[in-house]
Amino acid sequence: MTVNDWLQERFDIEAVKRFAAKKQVPIFYGTVWYYLGGVSLFLFIIQVLTGILLALYYQPGSATAFESVKFIVSKVEFGWLMREIHSWAANLFVFAIFLHMFTVFFSKAYRKPRELTWFTGMVLLGLAMFFGFSGYLLPWNELAYFATKVGTDIAGAVPFIGDFLIKVLRAGDEVSGATLTRFYSIHTAILPMIFIIFLAVHLIMIQVQGMSIPLSMEGTPANKRKTMPFFPNFVIRDLIVWLIILNVIALLAVFFPWELGLKADSLASAPAGIRPEWYFMFMFQTLKILPAHMWILEGEVFGVLMFAVGGIIWLLVPFLEKPKHSKLWFWFGVTILIYMIVLTVWGYLV
Amino acid sequence: MKYLILVTLFFQLIAVPMFAQEPDDACYQCHIEMDIDQDDEDRLFTNYLNDIHVEKGFSCADCHGGDPEAFDDEDESMWDNDSYLGELSAKDEIQMCGKCHSDPVFMRNYSVSVSVDQETQYWTSGHGIALKKGNKKVATCTDCHGVHGILSVENPNSKVYDSTVPKTCSKCHSSESYMAGVLESTDQYDEYVKSVHGNALLEKKDMFAPACNDCHGNHGASPPDVSSINEICGTCHAQNRDLFQNSHLSEAFLKEGLPQCESCHGNHNIVKPSDDFLNWGSASVCVECHEEGGKAKEMAGTLYQIIDSLKINLDSAKTLVERAEIKGMEISDLYFNLEDAHNALIHTRTSIHSFNTDFVRETATPGMVASEEAKTGAKAALDEFDYRRKGLFVASFIITLLALLMYIKVKQVEAHSKKDGDNG
Amino acid sequence: MSISQKSKPQLTSRRSFLDGLLTFTLLGWLSAMIYPVFRFLVPPKQPDLNVSSLDAGFLEAFKINTSKILRFGRKPVLVVRQKSGDFKALSATCTHLDCNVQYKKDTEQIWCACHNGFYDMEGRNISGPPPKPLSQYQVTVKDEKIIITRGEGV
Repeated sequence: MTVNDWLQERFDIEAVKRFAAKKQVPIFYGTVWYYLGGVSLFLFIIQVLTGILLALYYQPGSATAFESVKFIVSKVEFGWLMREIHSWAANLFVFAIFLHMFTVFFSKAYRKPRELTWFTGMVLLGLAMFFGFSGYLLPWNELAYFATKVGTDIAGAVPFIGDFLIKVLRAGDEVSGATLTRFYSIHTAILPMIFIIFLAVHLIMIQVQGMSIPLSMEGTPANKRKTMPFFPNFVIRDLIVWLIILNVIALLAVFFPWELGLKADSLASAPAGIRPEWYFMFMFQTLKILPAHMWILEGEVFGVLMFAVGGIIWLLVPFLEKPKHSKLWFWFGVTILIYMIVLTVWGYLV
Repeated sequence: MKYLILVTLFFQLIAVPMFAQEPDDACYQCHIEMDIDQDDEDRLFTNYLNDIHVEKGFSCADCHGGDPEAFDDEDESMWDNDSYLGELSAKDEIQMCGKCHSDPVFMRNYSVSVSVDQETQYWTSGHGIALKKGNKKVATCTDCHGVHGILSVENPNSKVYDSTVPKTCSKCHSSESYMAGVLESTDQYDEYVKSVHGNALLEKKDMFAPACNDCHGNHGASPPDVSSINEICGTCHAQNRDLFQNSHLSEAFLKEGLPQCESCHGNHNIVKPSDDFLNWGSASVCVECHEEGGKAKEMAGTLYQIIDSLKINLDSAKTLVERAEIKGMEISDLYFNLEDAHNALIHTRTSIHSFNTDFVRETATPGMVASEEAKTGAKAALDEFDYRRKGLFVASFIITLLALLMYIKVKQVEAHSKKDGDNG
Repeated sequence: MSISQKSKPQLTSRRSFLDGLLTFTLLGWLSAMIYPVFRFLVPPKQPDLNVSSLDAGFLEAFKINTSKILRFGRKPVLVVRQKSGDFKALSATCTHLDCNVQYKKDTEQIWCACHNGFYDMEGRNISGPPPKPLSQYQVTVKDEKIIITRGEGV
């Protein structure tokens, strides 16, 4: 009696296996981009694991947070490694999701029947960025403190509810130890729960619907398409990519460690070169270059509204796009991509 | 008529500020007019209105006698007046100042805490004693405090303000011609300016650093007795004083009539002492008495070696810690150890004044321990740095190998299933 | 059956070599990943505080027949001033399951509330679950001050 047989007697394993074997991955020049979803998942798993380990030693609170991170990085065995992996993987995680989103966009994988997959994916992107924003404050160092101050200020620019948002985010009017506590619970309890729910839905939908095929392949009949089975062929390849990424993170952790810097001091001047994390930079820079007033609106409010409108359009692409306008949407996507890259680079040059 | 009244009022208006502060006495009214015509260096009343006595309402007559109410009348105000004293001689001057300043009841009207022993002190000073003997070339009250523009000691413009005292003393004491026949050395000020104390007071504006009066006394100024130098330096350098007093050198110095502290550290040009004071070489201070060496040379050698080994240990620890820091390792805690070691070094240098090798070694030991700890920590950090790179190499090797094998495996599985697919 | 059966033995040996190497490397990789996690889980040792004596305050401040629990380095110590005026200093950690003991004024004994263990004033375990006596500390009075030092065997 094998494990398989034992389980088969209790659950219909064979049905699951047959279902899994159906999933195929199209083989074409763009197959390599199909790894990005798995890479994002892998990085999320790494974040959860290293995050849990760090949480065994981290002490939230304005008097203890910085010191506990210092303790982890200098005294705990392999503490430096866990922290560096967590910091680097966080950045790679957001990057991978962005890249994944853009490849999905340009291959129009969001089209029917996968509109909801796109939707949940966008939610996951937003949650990932919120993960990054909340996690960044936790070491309670100078950079984090001021970056959070600036970031939550922008939240205040949202019309009508801006004030409410600031108070809820900051747990008060100013960034303080209370903000730290709130961000910690957001980062380690609230966001993981919401993220996992949306992730599960996202993955189940992909599993049920199968991988999206490129438009060029749609004309070919199903049995003539060049594909490979997801299990085990693509999965093993996925794992190889994951291994390589793991190695890259290890290299980054050893050769490009993140500085801890100075402890946050509400009375100190903001340090030179203060800026938000790179994935917020394009928004930050946009708000910087906008004039103080655009018609009747304050520049910041206009900027925030612009992002909101842009975000909603992007979100509703599967419903808005008509086949005859597909070229338009392609160039729309290119514009957004270039805009993000240019503004990000600009933000760093200044 | 209207215009006449206006003009008069106008002149009275501008007259008020001009003459409001000016003393309303006959002496000043005449003498200021004469004074204005003088050359600058011959003027008597350049700062008179700021004089603290004038501010408190005293008049010329309070020191010089005469009638301050007899306006425009030379005879009535001065010559025919019995109380008129005119220009005061040195001795008279001191007694005149003392008339008020030694009277505690009188002085209490102006300050309850001001001292009233200046005159008594003065007569015990080098200046006072010489004056009593008939030597008029001595400093009197006005020579240091000024005469018609006397300011409070706390006023930075005063001639006897903390950081101005050395310059004031040096006016006479640095002049060879003036001091001829009285004091041989006139290099005190020049030496003092080069010293640690001079630098602290004059350059760094540290008001706690001693000026001439802090060691010599101000009104009772005289060179300290050989036996009291330890106490005087000990006012600030208390530990050194206590240690030295309990050492075997203290008695020996007293017996030989050797000045303490000064014998090794000098008096006016006191510089930062170097560890080489102990080293039996050119900078040695011990060799001046202990020409033959003997036990003194042995002890000095031991003391030097204790300090030197602590210094060397501390330096090598610092180098290691800095190296670890440059490599990016988190070693900020080790700086506390280095600080402890540095403090121990300072204490050890003080402790040699006990001239007791065991005590000095005891003082140095925590410093050695602290720098050893810093070294251990730094070495551990450097080792950890290497360990991480080695670990990365090993991990990378395993990961690469695994990825390669998995790739071969997947190719193998695919080739096999393809064959099966073709055949099946 | 397939033609590939003929070449099976060769394939099998190569395949099993590959499988073996793969498994070996996989295990190697797993241990390389798990090793740091395991080391991470155990916190670093706290440095020894190396306390040799403790100042327990002024003589007059310590009332007769009262007790205090003070920290000696990292360990709690129960200091009792008995009715006779003498002092006793014992380890305050119960030898049963590590609860902090207390001094009972009425019976002049040391009691552990967790499982009703009793000790006498010499620290001997006289009743209840405690298996061993409490270790004794030395008390000396110097210049009106109470000084606690390690006893023999602490």
